[in-house]
Amino acid sequence: MRVVVCVKQVPDQTLIKFNIETGSLNNIHYIMDPVDEASVSEAIRIREKNGGEVIAISLGIPRTEDVLRTCLKMGVDQAIHLCDEMFDNLDIYSISTVLAKQIARLKYDIILCGRESMDEGNGFLGAGISEWLDLPLVTSVTRLDIFADTMTARVHRRIKGGDREILETPLPAVFAVESVLTKPIYPPLRTIMAGLKKQIIKVDAKSLGVDKNSIQPMLAILSVSQPKPRLKKTATIDSKLSAHERMKLLMSGGTQQKSSKTIEKPPQSAVAEIIQFLISHGIISK
Amino acid sequence: MEDKGYKNPQDLTPNSSRETGESKGVWFIAEHKTGQLEKTAFLLAGEGRALSTKLGEELAAVIIGNEVKHLADQLGPYGVENAFIIEDELLEEYTGDAYVNVLSHLVKSNQPSLVLFPTTPMGNDLAPRLAARLRVGLVTHYTEIEVDREKKLTIRRPIHGGKASATVMPLSKPLIATIDPQLLTVQKAPQAKNIQVIETGIKVDPKSIKTRFIDYMKADPCAVCVSEAEIVIGVGKGLGCADNLKAVEELARILGASIGGSRRATDERWISDERRIGLTGKTIAPKLYLICGISGAFHHTLSIKSSQLMIAINKDKNAPIAKLADMVIVGDMQQIIPELAKQLKEALK
Repeated sequence: MRVVVCVKQVPDQTLIKFNIETGSLNNIHYIMDPVDEASVSEAIRIREKNGGEVIAISLGIPRTEDVLRTCLKMGVDQAIHLCDEMFDNLDIYSISTVLAKQIARLKYDIILCGRESMDEGNGFLGAGISEWLDLPLVTSVTRLDIFADTMTARVHRRIKGGDREILETPLPAVFAVESVLTKPIYPPLRTIMAGLKKQIIKVDAKSLGVDKNSIQPMLAILSVSQPKPRLKKTATIDSKLSAHERMKLLMSGGTQQKSSKTIEKPPQSAVAEIIQFLISHGIISK
Repeated sequence: MEDKGYKNPQDLTPNSSRETGESKGVWFIAEHKTGQLEKTAFLLAGEGRALSTKLGEELAAVIIGNEVKHLADQLGPYGVENAFIIEDELLEEYTGDAYVNVLSHLVKSNQPSLVLFPTTPMGNDLAPRLAARLRVGLVTHYTEIEVDREKKLTIRRPIHGGKASATVMPLSKPLIATIDPQLLTVQKAPQAKNIQVIETGIKVDPKSIKTRFIDYMKADPCAVCVSEAEIVIGVGKGLGCADNLKAVEELARILGASIGGSRRATDERWISDERRIGLTGKTIAPKLYLICGISGAFHHTLSIKSSQLMIAINKDKNAPIAKLADMVIVGDMQQIIPELAKQLKEALK
């Protein structure tokens, strides 16, 4: 099985902050997207079971190398870095066309990518690649079983409320995976050391046959700003609060009037109220 | 090496309509299940109506399925003017391949300016497929669409998990957009419209179906991960001891709920670590979160804010959780839980 994995370097979501004063993002620590970590791990597991090779591809500015190095240390056979000035600040549509061009030059049976990246969360890449290469697509993949003899895959995909749908698809195919697919692998030291020595293959626009005219973005990013403050669910504004505190509440997005019910009754009648409440909100029906 | 299997580069250039701009109509996809429209359909109708008024265009619903024509009438009171019906036996159950096949034909021949999807499993799968098939832009999880005087759209969407917000502008038409239905409220139109039902007669090309449906796996609601469950019961210090969990489990079975808990509950080994809700555990967004004996420390409440409905059972009526919950029952959970289980059993009979 030849597995191609699309990986992305993203700022750690738990650390990043929007600085209102400077109007820019602060505290940016780049990591490999956790969902890509899952797909690389899955790709390596597929190779261990069925043989073949794993190729990781990433598109981005020079620092993207870090994430490809991580892939090599995890045990990926080949890492391809699409790096060119022309590729800077592309929208996801254009990125998917460039990636598809590179993938089309490789031999592949399985293409893996994250369903949604952690930073932008466009959720387009899988659909884009499958369309440009005319391959079957399964999204929200939570389990992937490969049958090398029949060249098919049996896939579990996430639907509502924890339910799963099981599909069968012929290979080659594109799978947009969820991060629950597998736990990240911890490679042995030997693999890590070998990964450090491997060369990352650089591909620029010219060698890929991409020129300015063939890249046409579908979206223009105008600005990045502070998220709109969410309405805070708090008890009604207390008129006892000082003017300063009330101002602070307003500045942080104001308050939403909330009718919170407090019930102090013996269990039996309190429970009856809960049930009434559940029925009136459509959680249960009589 | 040859570019094998790669579609003609000309195919990848954006839709030609981007220059002509001859597009009309705000469309939304009306989801339905077992012969009923889903709530998301009405929610999107409200959002679509607001946008269609701003753009001065007609609002249309697209209903895809098998024998779904009768559903259209229900949308009249929500200001929907047209309903496009696509019926085929192959569309009985959702499959990305078949749905995108028929929907792309419909969009191509009618050229709407905007197509809205809910961020449900169906919308998340179908919207990107449609955008790719039509070679147009996709904006997922948008929070706001603004229309300026020249009827140009600018869209806000959260990035970095909501830590920042990006403003984007589509460069192609139609725009495919998805919105979280939880951000919307059901709004009836001031004037009910006489809905015009348009039978498109579009049929699925069986060749377009590449994947084969095998089976559904219904999740046991009590066993699913708390982050995926629709009803969650959270237990904390108020549980007292592990034996008391039996009553909670009984209640969970009746409600079809998944049990989670605070750090305290996992540390005491009452529940397993992967069921911890909070800063060091899972984040949840269920329809109902029943909070039993959790005071509501910041580390816990941080991860439960997206719950649609919260009921807290706590001895202390001044506990921090009381400020967050929609309903607070002051009392001992060990008395209330068995009573609730008992009464629910009778109510659900």
